[in-house]
Amino acid sequence: MKNILKILLVALFSISSLFALEKEEIKTVMTKKIDASISIIKQKNLTTQEKGQKIIKIIDEVFDYRKMALLSLGRDAWVSATKEQKIRYLKAFEINLKNSYIDKLSLYTDQKVKIIDLESTFTQKSKKERIQLTSELIGQSKTYKVNYLFYKNKTRGWVIWDINLAGTSIITTTRKQYSGLLKQKSLEEMISEIEAKNKING
Amino acid sequence: MKNIFIILLVTLGFCACTSKNDINIEKESTQKQIVTTKKMITENNSNDSFDDNFNEDFGEDFENESLKVEEVFDPLSSYNRLITNFNDKVFIYALNPTAKGYAYLFPETFRSGISNFFNNLMFPLRFTNNLLQLKFQNSVEELGRFLVNTTFGLAGFMDPAKTELGWKQHDEDFGQTLGFYGVGEGFHVVLPFLGPSNLRDIVGLTADSYISALSTTGSSDLQYKIPNNQTQNLTITGVNIVNSTSLRLGLYESLKKDAFDLYPYLRDLYNQRRNTLIKE
Repeated sequence: MKNILKILLVALFSISSLFALEKEEIKTVMTKKIDASISIIKQKNLTTQEKGQKIIKIIDEVFDYRKMALLSLGRDAWVSATKEQKIRYLKAFEINLKNSYIDKLSLYTDQKVKIIDLESTFTQKSKKERIQLTSELIGQSKTYKVNYLFYKNKTRGWVIWDINLAGTSIITTTRKQYSGLLKQKSLEEMISEIEAKNKING
Repeated sequence: MKNIFIILLVTLGFCACTSKNDINIEKESTQKQIVTTKKMITENNSNDSFDDNFNEDFGEDFENESLKVEEVFDPLSSYNRLITNFNDKVFIYALNPTAKGYAYLFPETFRSGISNFFNNLMFPLRFTNNLLQLKFQNSVEELGRFLVNTTFGLAGFMDPAKTELGWKQHDEDFGQTLGFYGVGEGFHVVLPFLGPSNLRDIVGLTADSYISALSTTGSSDLQYKIPNNQTQNLTITGVNIVNSTSLRLGLYESLKKDAFDLYPYLRDLYNQRRNTLIKE
């Protein structure tokens, strides 16, 4: 009887936490997701595109594409955008990011992934907690550091807003590229350029 | 105990039943209402759905230094663009096909052996720069790595220091040492064949080639130089570059696909990476 009650209680709690990633779970959840992704990469009967689609399904729930898109564009450009431009931009950004990710999968040559640590920091002004999951991509001759940066989203729990690959941040790089483009072009032209790139790379 | 369980079950069941009943009874009438209210909400708040959490999205928390876009001091930009283009062509038409052919001929294990061999010979450079940055523990480990790998690692082709003893390589160069002591990058310079660099790192490269066993620079002062003349120097450099390119085939092409404008993109990647390496 006691056991049934326990099971019931556990089941109730797990339902409530199903939708949000807790801090304590980040390491185990990410390890599982990375392991699952690597086993997909190793499947020989799939094309890179198919592998990419499968992996994206696995990692989608821990990525905050919207936050990434907004930070890449910057406040000024976002405020000046029309509603239609915002919708187009968010979509184009997400496709662009996923295409780039899928393309990188073809570079995989049997490296091993080692999850190192979960580091917690606090932002300077509002003392909000940020988490960094550090990992290493270990190859035969070179080892690269890959860090996943998390922030706590109100509804989704801990989600990734940036990845740091071998000392370079995806969001910083994109932000610099976009701001460079916006010096020469209008936002409309920039969105069209991203969309055009998506067609070529997709 | 039993009672608690029964109560729990009953309440759960009750909740489910009531909601079910509710839905059944009012299903038709509410459905239309829900649809219309939903429509209204999306119409009224369509902008809000993008702009909610506005401050959270763009709050100071994310506007840290790395996301601040500042004007880059780049007096050589037109020259740099030209050389970036030139290097791109050299890579596509010469280096990459050579590296591909080389990779086809030799298995990866062999190629990473060659890479280990060259890395082992770069020991004086890492040792000195770790010392100069007061990273004594790392210098000792580098010395240990050199001794172990040169003897037990078959003249450095294998890396038992890492695989057996867990001593990792601590890459440091003179450019990083200068950065460590607060020397700024000056401005960006793209070097023909060698790629992105800056004023500080060019000074670093010169100092490094003086210490390096693989160049002829400073051979009158240092006895351990391997090449005896410029031709040998170039051959060694060439093999090293082709070998290391063969171990990361496709990387440059893949990075290039992400670029909207190649020169500033590569400049930014280089700067970010160097700054991280200096901080480490």
